[in-house]
Amino acid sequence: MKVTNILITSVGGQGGLTLSRTLAIAAVLDSKSVVTGETLGMAQRFGSVVSYVRIGDEVHSPVFNPGEADVILGLEIIEVLRNIHYLKRKGLVLSADELKPPISSSLGIAKNPRKDELMSSISSEVTELGGDVIFIPARQLGMEAGSYRAMNMVILGVFNSKFNLLSDLSIEKAITQLLPGKKGDISVRAYNLGKDFLNR
Amino acid sequence: MGNEAIARGVIESGVYVVTGYPGTPSSEVLMTIQEFGKELDLYAEWAVNERVAFEIGLGAAIGGARALVTMKAPGANVAADPILSSAYSGVDGGFVVLIADDPGPITTQTEQDSRWFAELSKLPMITPSNPQEAKDFVRIGVELSEKVHLPIILRTTTRVNHAVATVTAGPIEKPRKYVKFVRNPPRFVRAGMSWNRERHAWLLNQLSRVEKVLEPYEINTVEGLGDKCVICEGIAYEYVKEAMNDLSEGVKSLRVIKLGQIYPLPENFLKKALKGCRKVLLVEELDPYLEGKIKSLAHDEVLEIKVFGKMEGLLPRVGELTLAPVVNAIRTFTGLEPINLVSKPAEEVPSRPPPLCPSCPHRNTYLGLIFALLRLGYRKEDVPIFGDIGCYALSVNPPLNAIWTEHSMGASIGMAMGLKLSGFKGPVIATIGDSTLFHAGLPALAEAIHKRADMLIVVLDNEVVAMTGHQSTLTWGRTERGRLTKPLKIEEVVKGMGADEVVVVDPYNIDELINQVKRLIKKPGVKVLISRAPCALYASRLYGVKKRYTVIPDKCKECMACIKITGCPALYIDEDHKVKIMLEDCLGCGLCAKYCPFNAIVEVGKDEGN
Repeated sequence: MKVTNILITSVGGQGGLTLSRTLAIAAVLDSKSVVTGETLGMAQRFGSVVSYVRIGDEVHSPVFNPGEADVILGLEIIEVLRNIHYLKRKGLVLSADELKPPISSSLGIAKNPRKDELMSSISSEVTELGGDVIFIPARQLGMEAGSYRAMNMVILGVFNSKFNLLSDLSIEKAITQLLPGKKGDISVRAYNLGKDFLNR
Repeated sequence: MGNEAIARGVIESGVYVVTGYPGTPSSEVLMTIQEFGKELDLYAEWAVNERVAFEIGLGAAIGGARALVTMKAPGANVAADPILSSAYSGVDGGFVVLIADDPGPITTQTEQDSRWFAELSKLPMITPSNPQEAKDFVRIGVELSEKVHLPIILRTTTRVNHAVATVTAGPIEKPRKYVKFVRNPPRFVRAGMSWNRERHAWLLNQLSRVEKVLEPYEINTVEGLGDKCVICEGIAYEYVKEAMNDLSEGVKSLRVIKLGQIYPLPENFLKKALKGCRKVLLVEELDPYLEGKIKSLAHDEVLEIKVFGKMEGLLPRVGELTLAPVVNAIRTFTGLEPINLVSKPAEEVPSRPPPLCPSCPHRNTYLGLIFALLRLGYRKEDVPIFGDIGCYALSVNPPLNAIWTEHSMGASIGMAMGLKLSGFKGPVIATIGDSTLFHAGLPALAEAIHKRADMLIVVLDNEVVAMTGHQSTLTWGRTERGRLTKPLKIEEVVKGMGADEVVVVDPYNIDELINQVKRLIKKPGVKVLISRAPCALYASRLYGVKKRYTVIPDKCKECMACIKITGCPALYIDEDHKVKIMLEDCLGCGLCAKYCPFNAIVEVGKDEGN
C-alpha cells in the first residue's frame, strides 16, 4: 500500500494552494485516494504556506511527519530550505529557482539571503539525505507559456514527468476545472513545458 | 474540502436558512453555498455577528424550518447567551450549529476546546473525522435535531474543515421552510422561573434519548478486539489509523474506539465497547476532555481500566495534534520505544510572517497615526493604540510596530475606555475595522460616547471582511447572492449615536490623515475618524491595477527609507544592495515613492509587471 507524500512550499499568493488542489482533483479523477492538508485563511499572502498532498490506495491523515516527504515541490527557495527537514532519505526536491526575499530580511531583522547560497544550502541538505534536487527556471517557462503565474503548473509538469503518478488527461481536466478560460490554457501549456523540461 | 462537504450536506439535508459570521476555519461553508448554490431556493447570507446569526437560525427553526449557522470557536462565545437559552425552548425544524475549533492555533486567539460548550449549554454534539463524515453529519444533525427537538452542535477542527478528500455525494432534498409557530409561553418565554425549571427537566430528558436516537447512524465504532484500547474522535482518528498502518503487530491488535457522539457521552456504547479492555489511551485534540469523561465512567462502572492521555503527559496539551506525537504515544502505550523524530534543520532561514499586502490602506492609516503622534511631540510609547480583530492586526509587526492589544471582536474601544477612565493621562486610540465595528464594536462605542470618554476611535473601513476571504459587510448594497439590502453608512450610525466629532478621510491622502489625527486627538470627547479606502487586494482583483512603481537604480542611495517606513512586501534589497520592486506584486499606491528622499521611485505602466 504505497502512499506518495508531497509537500508544496510556497509564499502566499504564488499558487501553492492551486497546485495542491490540482493534484487532489486529478487524483480523484484517476480514482486514487487523496487527502490534502493546508493552512488557509488569515492574510496568508506573502507569508509562508505549506500544503501536504498525499496520494495512494488508502490515505487517512491530511498531514505527515518531518522526514516523510517523497518529494518537495517548491515555488520559492527560502520556503524549500525552511521545510527541507520534511524530505525523506533519498527524497527529491523539485523547486523553482525563484527567490522572494521576506520583509524581515529587507528590514535587517533577518539576514538578507543570496540566491546562490540558498541553492547550495538546499543542495547540501539534500545530498546529506542521499536525495536529489532539480532547480527549474519556472518563471521563464511560465512566461513562455503565457504568464509567470503559471510557475506552479511548470513544477507540476516536472513532478509528473518524474513520478508518472497521474494521467495527463486528469491533470488537464483538473486544471481547466479550477482555472477556466485563458488562465487554464496558459496553465496547461505551462504543465506541458514542465513535463518536457527534463528532456530538453 | 471539509467545509465544501458541509455545504453539500446542507443542500442534501433540506436546510433553508444558512447564516453565520466569517471566521477561519469555518468561512468556506457559506461561501461555497453562495458561490455554487446560485440557483437554489434558500437563504444563505452572512449575519452581523454570530449571536445574531444564531438567533436567525433559532427563529427559523422554532417555526419548523431547517437551519444551519456557522462560526469559529470564539464566535460561539459571542453567541453563548442565546445558545444556552435555546436548549430550554428547543426547536421543531432541524437546527445545526457548526462550531469550528482551531487547534494550533493557526488563526485564532486561543486554543479553545468547544466540546466544553456542549456540556455548558446541554446541547448534543457530534464531531466528524473527515470531509465525508463532515457532509454526512449535517444530515445526522438535522435528523437528530428534529427527533429530540434540540439544536445540535456540529463541532469540527481545522484539519477536518480544510482537508481536501474524496466525498461521495447523496441526493438533494428540497429545503424545508416555515411550517408553523404557535404561541407557547412556558416553552418560549424565559421570564417564568417555574417554566424554566420545567424546561430544564424536559431538556435533561431529551438528552437521555440522544444515544438511542443516534444508534442506527453508527457514528460510534469499534475496530479490533485487543485488551489495549485507543479512544479517539475527530481528526485524531485519522492520525490513529495512519499510525497503525506502519507499526508492528502488537499495535495492530489495538482496539480502536471512535466517537462521533461527544455529548452526551454514549455511555451504553462505551460500556460494551470497553468490555475486556485493561488499558485505554485517549487521543484527542486540545483539552483532555474525553479523558476525564472516560476516567469518570470507569470509576462509576468499577471497570479495571488504566486510562492514559494528556493528563499523563503521553500527548501534548498545547498546540495542534500531528501524526508524529500520536505515533509515539501509541508506541509508548504499547511498550515500544518511541522513534526519533526528524528535528528542524540547523540552518537559519529568515522568517516570513504575513505582512500587510502591498498598497493596503491600513498601512497608511497606522503610518498616519504614528507620524501624527511624533509630530505632536509624543514618543511612540506614550500613546497606546488599541487594536482589534482583522488584517490590521498585522500592523503589530515591524516596521509599523503599531497596535498594543488585540483581544476579541470589538474589544479595542472598551479596553481603551477602561484604561482612560482608570487614570491614564495621555491620549488613547482605538482602531477597529468596519465589519468588527458592526460585529461587536457598536455597544462599546455607545458606552464610550455616553460616558464622555476622551478617545480617538479610528475605523479602518476597507468596505469588506478582508481577512477571512472578502465577505460582505453591512455597508454593501447587495449581498453575495444578489439580495438587495439597505446599505448602512458608518458615519451616519456613529453620528446618530452622538459621537462628538466624525470625520471621513482617505488614507491614501496621508497628509490629510495626519492633519486630522493631530487636530482630533487634542479635542475632548469621542472623536471618530473613518479611514476609508477599499481593500487593495480585493480592488485589484475586481478592477485590476492602474499603475505600478519601479526604482531607478542610479538614483537609489541605499538609505532604505522606503522599506523602513512602509515594510511593503513588494520591496526588497537586491544583491547589489539597491532596493528593487517586485513589479508583479506592486499594486501602485505610491507610498514608497512619497517617502523616497531621492525621488528614485517612479510610476510605470500597469503592464510593466507582467
